[in-house]
Amino acid sequence: MTERDFRAMNLSEVQVSVELVTPDVTLNLGPQHPSTHGVLRLIAKVDGEVINEIDPVIGYMHRGYEKLAEVRTYPQITALVNRIDWVSGFANEVPFMVATERLVGVEAPERAQYIRLILAEMARISSHLMFLSSYPLELGAATPLMYALRERERVLDLIEGVTGGRFHPNFNRVGGVKPAAGAGSDQKKVVQDLPEGFLAETREAMRTVLAVCDDMDELVVGNEIFLERTKGIGIIPAERALEYGVSGPNLRASGVRFDIRKTDDYLPYSKFEFEVPIGAVGDCFDRYMVRLEEIRQAARIVIQAVDTLPSGPLQAKVPRVIKVPRGEIYVRAENPKGEMGYHIVSEGGRGPYRLKIRSASFSNISILPWLLKGQLVPDIIAILGSLDFVLGDVDR
Amino acid sequence: MTASPSEIAERYAAMVGADSFSADHGTAKIRVAASRWIEVHEALRTDLPFFSWLSAIDWAAEVAVGDPPEEAGEERYEVLSRLSDVGGGAGLIVSTDISKSDPRVASLTGVFGGADWHEREAAEMFGILFEGHPHLVKLYLPDGFEGYPLRKTFPLLSREVKPWPGTVDVEDMPATENVEAGDEAGGAEPEDGE
Repeated sequence: MTERDFRAMNLSEVQVSVELVTPDVTLNLGPQHPSTHGVLRLIAKVDGEVINEIDPVIGYMHRGYEKLAEVRTYPQITALVNRIDWVSGFANEVPFMVATERLVGVEAPERAQYIRLILAEMARISSHLMFLSSYPLELGAATPLMYALRERERVLDLIEGVTGGRFHPNFNRVGGVKPAAGAGSDQKKVVQDLPEGFLAETREAMRTVLAVCDDMDELVVGNEIFLERTKGIGIIPAERALEYGVSGPNLRASGVRFDIRKTDDYLPYSKFEFEVPIGAVGDCFDRYMVRLEEIRQAARIVIQAVDTLPSGPLQAKVPRVIKVPRGEIYVRAENPKGEMGYHIVSEGGRGPYRLKIRSASFSNISILPWLLKGQLVPDIIAILGSLDFVLGDVDR
Repeated sequence: MTASPSEIAERYAAMVGADSFSADHGTAKIRVAASRWIEVHEALRTDLPFFSWLSAIDWAAEVAVGDPPEEAGEERYEVLSRLSDVGGGAGLIVSTDISKSDPRVASLTGVFGGADWHEREAAEMFGILFEGHPHLVKLYLPDGFEGYPLRKTFPLLSREVKPWPGTVDVEDMPATENVEAGDEAGGAEPEDGE
């Protein structure tokens, strides 16, 4: 009997039962999985292809920053906070510094605020380019990665040129920013400002960033497979998003025009013109498109800020030892991932009595058990990727 | 921005009948009794639908690490939640005090679904019982973890072993004894040791 005969015989004997018994299967995704952007574990109870229940397990990256902050001085905490969302390290520092400055009662000089704003927007561009490149990759398109990462590297080089660090700048000081690295001065007392050629290179980088956005438009957005995988998938209704504290591009994709840059005054955003893009239905596709458009708006802000950068000091006059009077403050900022805020309770002294870190990704993925229920297993990756979270930002 | 933080605090304090309100450093805050925790959030939800975060503070006279309060108040846990509106810039912290001997408060999961993880975090970090929470298990910490890390009585072991590594603590260096008197760093001067 040949193999073929054997198969034919067996098949003919198979009895197909109409009522298949399909007990729930527990599917374990992660913690080590490329789509989890770090170490997120999902325990899914699936019935065939349908997810009945999902339980995200987080905490693999928990570093206890809130406890560590209680034994550190305010300037030391800067080094901790830019490790929360490491894809946009600089942006994490800003609200913390603004909160500390408001408690102390100093204000950063205008030039320092502009530099903060330029670097914060560059961090947004870098973070969103990371998303624009990795998300199609998760859906099976490898080429866009090369295009977007090339421009991201250019932006990171500029950030590194000013701050000395690509990911963890540690560049903010209470009352301003650190005199920049790379200015090339051999005299210690001479003020080191932005590196030579920074403004021109920034304009050029923004031009190429805008160009790569158009490339991504053509490469990805018109792609039939991409549309099939993202349109109508993972819809978050606006009301549900608000209740879960989903913020940033994820919230705006659901049609809510909520941008802290427009409502709060932690940086001088009111001096610049930019739009707040929103989505229509809040599916994966809208979340992609909102971020794509946000890069264009961020580049627009950077170009305006570079053109109008005022001269002046980088540091306000502050005591060498920062002592913060009693008080309580919450300052939030529109970070690439969403609302990032610091609630500082000071009882006097050099360090906070309590520091609550509100990170965007934590709230953004807390909606997962609700969002993934009833979805199909292949859509898990598409939905996870579209939320653009970073585990350091979830676990703190 | 239409209303100032103090106006916001005053308006919502009047609306829900809060015990007191404040707006230090532009941070609007109202204080309510723990028994009214859910009722107050339900009332605020229409105006302030965005649930930003929930956390707690351990108010203690003696601490294992860090600085104790200058004037020790009553020992208690303060539970805080932060809500905000959409696009208007109004935000509000709602606060309540609960006793240390019996730290419990009603769960907000029925009002804001997003309170789920925040309450799990506060529960494992402070040992606060959120009554009515559907799944109050550990969030960050491993299942067998003992103790409540963000309580002031919980020692930070690395700090117990070694107060601070190295000599980078500026305040203890002899040359900076009179820093408060007037040795102010000018705007142009780079910081030492960078």
